[in-house]
Amino acid sequence: MTMNSAFVIEVQHLTVSYNARPALLDVSVNIEKDQLVGVIGPNGAGKSTFIKAVLGFVKPDLGTVRIQGVPAQQAKGQVAYVPQRGAVDWDFPITVKEVALMGRYQQIPWYTSPSKSDWATAMEALEMVRMEEFADRQIGELSGGQQQRVFMARALAQGSDILLLDEPFAGVDAATERAILDVLERAKRSGKTLVVVHHDLATAAEYFDKLLLIKQRLYAYGDPAAVLREDLLSQVYEGRLRIFKEVIKKEGAHV
Amino acid sequence: MFDLFIAPLMDTYFQKALIGGSIVAVVAGVVGCLVVLRRMAFLGDALSHAMIAGVAGGYLVMKLFFGLEAHAPGMLLGSLIAAVATVALISFVSRISRVKEDTAIGIMYTGIFALGVVAVSIFRHYIHIDLMHFIMGDILGVADTDLWVSAFVAAIVLTVLIFFFRHFQLATFDPIMAASIGLPVLLLDYALTTCVSLVVVSAVSMVGVILVVGLLITPAATAYLLSDRLDRMMILAALFGVTSVIGGLYLCVWLDSAGGGAIMLFCTLQFLVVLTVAPKYGLLSRWVRLRNLIPQQVVEDVLTTILRHEKPTPRSVIARYVESGKGLDRVLKQMIEDDLLIQSGMDYALTGSGQKEANKVLRAHRLWETYLESIGTPEHDVHTTAHQLEHLHQGDTVEYLDEKLGSPTKDPHGKAIP
Repeated sequence: MTMNSAFVIEVQHLTVSYNARPALLDVSVNIEKDQLVGVIGPNGAGKSTFIKAVLGFVKPDLGTVRIQGVPAQQAKGQVAYVPQRGAVDWDFPITVKEVALMGRYQQIPWYTSPSKSDWATAMEALEMVRMEEFADRQIGELSGGQQQRVFMARALAQGSDILLLDEPFAGVDAATERAILDVLERAKRSGKTLVVVHHDLATAAEYFDKLLLIKQRLYAYGDPAAVLREDLLSQVYEGRLRIFKEVIKKEGAHV
Repeated sequence: MFDLFIAPLMDTYFQKALIGGSIVAVVAGVVGCLVVLRRMAFLGDALSHAMIAGVAGGYLVMKLFFGLEAHAPGMLLGSLIAAVATVALISFVSRISRVKEDTAIGIMYTGIFALGVVAVSIFRHYIHIDLMHFIMGDILGVADTDLWVSAFVAAIVLTVLIFFFRHFQLATFDPIMAASIGLPVLLLDYALTTCVSLVVVSAVSMVGVILVVGLLITPAATAYLLSDRLDRMMILAALFGVTSVIGGLYLCVWLDSAGGGAIMLFCTLQFLVVLTVAPKYGLLSRWVRLRNLIPQQVVEDVLTTILRHEKPTPRSVIARYVESGKGLDRVLKQMIEDDLLIQSGMDYALTGSGQKEANKVLRAHRLWETYLESIGTPEHDVHTTAHQLEHLHQGDTVEYLDEKLGSPTKDPHGKAIP
């Protein structure tokens, strides 16, 4: 593994299409270590395709994705994935502790059972997100924020340096949003790079170190102030800009 | 007693049915858990119907090319091929056309079932397959080869599922994560479908095409109501499968009914009983939970009534102001348990936390009154409307009102806003 690159995720000329309809067009971006990166863009902008490309299971038509210097398709498990809340079957017969243990599955050979140290790692991860007292609960019995934290624990137990979160703030209240953000920031301080798909432009500037604006093409990547510009947003969001004028003004006031 | 329970056990056909049925039920229950959790029940149904074409094909090939009559392994292989072909056709059609998967399943399995029926009737001089046997099954006529086939299938399928338990669990629960750590998700899907086909094939001769899907999903669904862990759910499902076979076989002997039907009837009754009494996900416990649920509105009304009364309040006064029907005693009892009220003699008084809660509601009430007044609500409506609105005091609502109204200290009736 080559680790001399300063970038943990290197995307070069990434082009992906489904049935001749392009989902991503010539996207090139390099993401640095220890960042909290927000991926923003309207619905159907290719955000989920971008996630899949970073996880290494869409085959690009063109271009490459490298995770810590290794092509994404060979870097299995180096990016830990936290699914969108709506994508999880909350009635699944599984406990909090077992979900956290799933983070260790890649390390456990198929012919053995999880060892004591695997369980210990899972419990440690649950402690990190302050969910250890819920270890034996079924996952559907938790509140939205707690559910999100359990999946964060799973990602932490995986031990990957890069975490990919799909809309973690969707459908949770303001207090929960704070709690999740707190977990994200602590993960960042412990040396993780977090890439978060986010839909709320109003909070984007406040939450993230860097923003990545896509709609098929990459429109901008950089500091929130540089990305949340009226001309860029008007191109990406077209007619719905009026709402965002306030966002930009607010952002101007911040800086 | 002896006649009822022990006597049937003396008969060889009953013993074979019991052994064969139990083997099939165990493995069907375990695989069924994954089928239920992945919502593939309909696919199980399709596979069992598609098999008839495979059985006919296998029979015909064996007979025409090798001269073997009713060659069991040949028919087994034929049904497996038919099952896999059905699955392949289904995913092909749903992928390349706008037809959705459930429709594709419906088209393909009826088509292949029809092909089987037509083949069996055209070649009726070569193939001696009793369609009725195929559709209804004949558990009391289990042959030794059937027993061996089902034992063999059960051993293979259980081995695969136990060794790759975690793989199937993760691929079912979160396929994206499974793929991201390099699990062969597609291969696992095919492996599971093959396991389901094997189980269906070995079960059809006993319970028949129509009922086999029930043996696959009903014990699993019964176990689903009782457990919160996949491994326990699988063990319970196997257990419920076996009890259905035992119960069903006795039912069949006592009532002199069809074997497969009796088993599935017993299995379904078992499900209904568990659905009613299951401790966590059952109907009874749900009903009890709902009954014990006290509307927050009633609690808040009790609190403000006592607060306004300004001293320990007798039950009659509370009953006059609070609309709670007959449940008032339960409400009061629950509120005492929740440390909102204390009972002193015949009267009820607020505790510290009860006082705090009551003030919160009263504050909301009076702020809402002020607000209603400010937007020109007729005076006689102000109190009643505010009485309904006072229950909206979550989060920032009240503070927003307060700010908007410029933090008033008195409500329109001149009472202090706490």
